[in-house]
Amino acid sequence: MATDKELSDFLKSVEKRAFKRTVYAVRHDDAALDIVQDAMIKLAEKYADRPAAELPLIFQRILSNATMDWFRREKVRNAVMSSLSAFDATEPDGDFDLLEMLQGAEGSAGGESASDAVSRTQILRAIDAEVAGLPTRQREAFLLRYWEEFDVAETAAVMGCSEGSVKTHCSRAVHALAKSLRAKGITP
Amino acid sequence: MNSIHYSTDVQVLEARYALRLVGHLNAQVESLPPDVSERLRFAREQALSRARETRAAAGAVPAGISPAGTVVLASFVPWLQRAASVLPLLLLLAGLMMIQQWQTREQVLATAEIDTQLLADALPPAAYSDPGFAEFLRAPAQP
Repeated sequence: MATDKELSDFLKSVEKRAFKRTVYAVRHDDAALDIVQDAMIKLAEKYADRPAAELPLIFQRILSNATMDWFRREKVRNAVMSSLSAFDATEPDGDFDLLEMLQGAEGSAGGESASDAVSRTQILRAIDAEVAGLPTRQREAFLLRYWEEFDVAETAAVMGCSEGSVKTHCSRAVHALAKSLRAKGITP
Repeated sequence: MNSIHYSTDVQVLEARYALRLVGHLNAQVESLPPDVSERLRFAREQALSRARETRAAAGAVPAGISPAGTVVLASFVPWLQRAASVLPLLLLLAGLMMIQQWQTREQVLATAEIDTQLLADALPPAAYSDPGFAEFLRAPAQP
């Protein structure tokens, strides 16, 4: 059973990455903060009696589910708003399609001004934008596998897919990032 | 054989590149705006207080077997708290029973006193059932 200190240390160690990961998904700081807070509270209420070693996997799963719930709520809200509105919504139906569209917009906005002379902050921003621009599943696999340091099996468990899919997503994500960053003249 | 080596090398290169990128992401995460950090801290504290509440509500002392081999009771402290809350009720019931016993004893003693006085009097008890004697008692005393 995780003690208060173990739970606190775990949340402290993971909260910033969790926030950033959620921002990549929902593209909105306030919504991401709400989702992370909900995930933390759910973890504390329902799983605080679990051993500390199990917390990372459980938390990432809760966070992923909370993010998906947010997308579902947004989808319902958008559907209600568009049915009330006289304007025809130009947004696609699926969550992933919506993200793809946003991804395209962000990629085109940040696609200029890259050279060997860019500052470190600019490099960080470019990397951030490229990671944010990855397709959702690729980004999830990449961040869970390399940022959260989960192994392939754990990543597959959190994402609800096979280990082979995780490997494929990770590989494609790395190749896509390498290609786009190289095109901007950035070598991490 | 060569293809296996090739795929392993590619995976190593991918992992190395990914870790370099992740290093940059870590650097960026460390420079989050203060309001975001503050809100994350608040969320963490909320979560911890919820965890404490949940544990307290569920009788948080874990059940199990101690190293000495004895069984640890899961809800020892809440059991005491429940017993303490029942204690005033038990005291009230005991008090009511004592009062009832005292009243019964008082009634028995009063009846015994009347019986004693009747038996110790010079007038026999049968006289009280005599109509003439009853009339005598009702009549005003002659001067």
